Amino acid sequence: MLKSKTFVKKTRSGGVMKVVREHYLRDDIWCGSEACTECKQESTVLQTDACIESSLCSYPHYLIPDTNVVLHQIDVLEDAVIRNVIILQTVLQEVRHRSAPVYKRLKDIIHEKEKHFYTFTNEHHRETFIEREPGETANDRNDRAIRVAAKWYSQHLKTSESDTDGLKVVLLTNDQGNKQKAEESGLLVYKFEEYIKSLTANPELVDHLALSNDNKITSSKVLFPEHLPLSRIQAGIKSGSFVQGTFRASRDNYLEATVFIQGEGEDSTEILIQGLQNLNRAVHQDVVAVQLLPRSQWVAPSSVVLQDEGAAKDDNVEEEEEEKAVIIAARKATGKVVGIIKRNWRPFCGMLNVSQIKESTRHLFTPADRRIPRIRIETRQATTLAGQRIMVSIDGWPKDSRYPNGHFVRSLGGAGEKDTEQEVLLLEHDVPHQAFSQAVLSFLPKMPWAITPEDMVRREDLRHLTVCSVDPPGCTDIDDALHCRELENGNLEVGVHIADVSHFIRPGNALDKEAANRGTTVYLCGKRIDMVPELLSSNLCSLRSNVERLAFSCIWEMNHEAEILKTRFTKSVINSKASLTYAEAQMRIDDTNKNDDITKSLRGLNKLAKILKRQRIEKGALTLSSLEVRFHMDSETHDPIDLQTKELMETNSMVEEFMLLANISVAQKIYDEFQECALLRKHPAPPPSNYDILLKAAKSKDVAIHTDTAKALADSLDGAKVDGFPYFNTLLRILATRCMMQAVYFCSGMDNDFHHYGLASPIYTHFTSPIRRYADIIAHRLLAVAIGADSTYPDLMDKHKQSALCNNLNYRHKMAQYAQRASVAFHTQLFFKSRGILNEEGFVLFVRKNAIIVLIPKFGLEGTVFFDSKDKVTPSIVFDEEIPGVSVPVPDAEPQAKKPKLDR
Amino acid sequence: MATVQVSEAEKVYILHGIRDDLRVDGRGCEDYRHMEIETDVVSNTDGSAKVTLGHTAVLVGIKAEIGKPRPLVPNEGYLEFFVDCSANATPEFEGRGGEELGTELSNTLYKVFNNKHSVDLKSLCICPGEHCWVLYVDVLLLQCDGNLYDAISVAIKAALFNTKIPRVHISTDEEGGKEIELSDDPYDCMRLNVENVPCIVTLCKVGHRHVVDATLQEKACSVASLIISVTHKGTVTCTRKVGGGSLDPESIFEMTEAGKRVGKALHAPLMKVLQQEEHLGKKKQKVGFLG
Repeated sequence: MLKSKTFVKKTRSGGVMKVVREHYLRDDIWCGSEACTECKQESTVLQTDACIESSLCSYPHYLIPDTNVVLHQIDVLEDAVIRNVIILQTVLQEVRHRSAPVYKRLKDIIHEKEKHFYTFTNEHHRETFIEREPGETANDRNDRAIRVAAKWYSQHLKTSESDTDGLKVVLLTNDQGNKQKAEESGLLVYKFEEYIKSLTANPELVDHLALSNDNKITSSKVLFPEHLPLSRIQAGIKSGSFVQGTFRASRDNYLEATVFIQGEGEDSTEILIQGLQNLNRAVHQDVVAVQLLPRSQWVAPSSVVLQDEGAAKDDNVEEEEEEKAVIIAARKATGKVVGIIKRNWRPFCGMLNVSQIKESTRHLFTPADRRIPRIRIETRQATTLAGQRIMVSIDGWPKDSRYPNGHFVRSLGGAGEKDTEQEVLLLEHDVPHQAFSQAVLSFLPKMPWAITPEDMVRREDLRHLTVCSVDPPGCTDIDDALHCRELENGNLEVGVHIADVSHFIRPGNALDKEAANRGTTVYLCGKRIDMVPELLSSNLCSLRSNVERLAFSCIWEMNHEAEILKTRFTKSVINSKASLTYAEAQMRIDDTNKNDDITKSLRGLNKLAKILKRQRIEKGALTLSSLEVRFHMDSETHDPIDLQTKELMETNSMVEEFMLLANISVAQKIYDEFQECALLRKHPAPPPSNYDILLKAAKSKDVAIHTDTAKALADSLDGAKVDGFPYFNTLLRILATRCMMQAVYFCSGMDNDFHHYGLASPIYTHFTSPIRRYADIIAHRLLAVAIGADSTYPDLMDKHKQSALCNNLNYRHKMAQYAQRASVAFHTQLFFKSRGILNEEGFVLFVRKNAIIVLIPKFGLEGTVFFDSKDKVTPSIVFDEEIPGVSVPVPDAEPQAKKPKLDR
Repeated sequence: MATVQVSEAEKVYILHGIRDDLRVDGRGCEDYRHMEIETDVVSNTDGSAKVTLGHTAVLVGIKAEIGKPRPLVPNEGYLEFFVDCSANATPEFEGRGGEELGTELSNTLYKVFNNKHSVDLKSLCICPGEHCWVLYVDVLLLQCDGNLYDAISVAIKAALFNTKIPRVHISTDEEGGKEIELSDDPYDCMRLNVENVPCIVTLCKVGHRHVVDATLQEKACSVASLIISVTHKGTVTCTRKVGGGSLDPESIFEMTEAGKRVGKALHAPLMKVLQQEEHLGKKKQKVGFLG
């Protein structure tokens, strides 16, 4: 049966278009119930004995939630207790339309077999399809469609049942009007809260309930100005009186935030927002509309570290700040939030602060991310949840509430436990860490795997070469190997061989998509979150010694002055002769007695690398420093037993030099071949103002730093030495690192600034680690097409798609870095947990009005030290780590001892 | 235009018949053939109608689009006509064969309909000087069996009656910027007043008399014809002579009088049928093109 759906819509050019869609109705849509004898369905989803202990419904029943219930109460629906639910197509479509994340979660539930969620395509069912009546709103029509479908189910189940065990359907809605109408038409209908509270066997579900409007926690005082409606915001943005931007809360001060306004190209600005009123309930990462304040009210960013301790303190702090703001000249554009365009709320991890009042069910929740405000939740299991890491979702933030209201989602485990903390930091950094799905695994090569003659067709056989790999100890994903030999004409042939991952990961399949989404492998202390399944990362792609592996080789002919005479790229087969660690390789080079092929090869490489490095530094490449620590783990408990900062050996930089060289050669090649769609990496030069902290710090020791060019910076960093303070230079380099911009991937067709500032190279890409970075896989594919070793595919040549991919990769890389740092920080704390109080040398990095930021190089630890505000003179300072849950008695570092920066 | 070959003997037969007020198919001189009207036949238009008159069949679809008003009349909308002579109607229309006829027809339609006396053009205005509704009237000739003008005019009137224009309203923000807002209810729409929309009556001079609704054979016997557009009150809004021959003033007067009479009589049953169909609403049985 054919019906047509008609609607009018506005076109982009401002016109009005009538759209007519054909809509087919069918009579072969089955009900999905096991109990049904009428429907000719092959498999059923809904069980006959759909029993759940409820004081309202003592009979077996199926649930039909309406759209709002799904949208707001998805956390409850996800619970394993809730089963046998009919999701109507109407509901599914509306959810999809209104919230993509909820839609995805709903789809996941539906796919889960144990949940017995059934999608009933009521919009295409002949008996449940309804047309919109004159005068009916779209919502009313959908509500009616839901009621009609529920009615159909209840009648259908009644007639189809021969052995009546009283199977019924229960409609769940929070809409009073809908409920009333449903009752009139004789349906079983309950409010969602009512129903969940009736589940006597599972009282914990009540905690998951999102707070709906009628039981909001309210106080009479209106704290915030009203948000403007969307239409006014849009009009304001159009006319230029408001600007749209991403809200970024400050990590250090809960009363301060910036709104980042994306301009065209590089032209983006930031607006400062200060004070609770002006922040107006915006949460980190929300898209907001901002109104600029008149110039007379502009302020400078405060230098006070402020953490939200409660409502009592706020007022005087704000006043104090304003006072200060007047003094300082460096004012920034300041504004206030007038409305929220899009909330970007996700479930937040954190800890529960149990309310002081006994029996109270309302508690505050402190998120792990300091940029997120505290959230008020309602729970009855506060005592069990205290001391656990939990996840909480925000439901809303009414204008009369100091904190947003939320609800408990799930518990991750006890605070301070390694697994829990790891889970927290993976979740907080949005690292996809689930096991690979079957779909993904199905694209892996079948084992046992061997190189076939077809593989050899376009490959060069380099198995005879003395190739070896040099990596950190314990590395199982070896993606690069090297060789060097003398040619007959006296020149040197140097080869960099990279695992040929793109041979195994074909474009567009599930494996490729998953890898593209993950973007990078994340290395945490004692754990690795792989980008590709282990079979590839640690076996087939890993260039282990004495096995034949497929590789992508970049081979140069060089003279002894390391000048490149010839470059060529080829797909190849290699057989690595040795997998060495940096230390082993160093030992071979230094051991004069050894003279085998591998050692000779290494010496040749080392010699060339030194020349290359010198050349690079002459060109102005920066040597920066950041503290990286390594843990020695207990093999049994995986607890850290010792830690040391990473040592760098000559061989480290040897491998690094050749990787840089390969990356640059490949970048040039793929850019020559594909001007529009080469995936490159750039590192923009930082704006001069970024260097302020570095200059100030250097000035405190009367050292001059020039930042005009990279070369000048590198030279003056080399010259910056203070007698009796050997660590000063490293400190400056650490600070210089913080002045830098982020290096990013980009698509050559979308940008025209390719320069890599840090490496002083005009062009750069990533090619050498395809096992752990997706960008390298793309570079491999581009290069393979360029040399005719592989075929291309449309998405590879689409610069917009590639640009979108770059954005994801940049995001994942940033998050992976943060996660890595967080993991190190956590392990450092774990390490101190058992150590008690230690005395170590520390350095002051920054000075704030009420705190200093201290770095302890031995542990790579950085933390905020607050001066006690009441007793300002006291020199003994309590080092508060402020990562809730683990309080660490860290050394009473001597902060006064050596301050490279004493500007106040 | 589609033509038929008529022999001398046939001509005499037809002429004599008309002289005696008895035409070949048994009609009187001022009778129409059987006419069928169906509205709302093309769902993706805003208004449509299909009319068959004898074997002549035309389909009219009206699309309403937002456009800019003509500078001289800033507070009125306007109509655009396009006549497509489908090669289905007659093989002569194949390729560009129907173009000339199409232009001729649409020019006449502009004259007859695109004025404020026929259609309430002011009601098509959305925002004076800036936005108005433009009604694109597309006429498709499906089959030609004489008397195209009359069939087309009836179909246009029916389609205009059927036209549902989405209701829009203009919202103004503080800065004076105007935004067109659309109601999300597909039933919320505006109807046109078609009371004054005229119908065309074509009168063919055959011998000393004239006939309405001439068949192709009768047309072949006629030297000239007069088209008259008449409103329901009997007001003549436009007359035009078509064909090669000449008409003496006496007969023009006679033909105009007859046209008024016939036209007036045509409106009443047409409106009745349209209203009846409208009342049926969704219960209306669709005939479509296969029925």
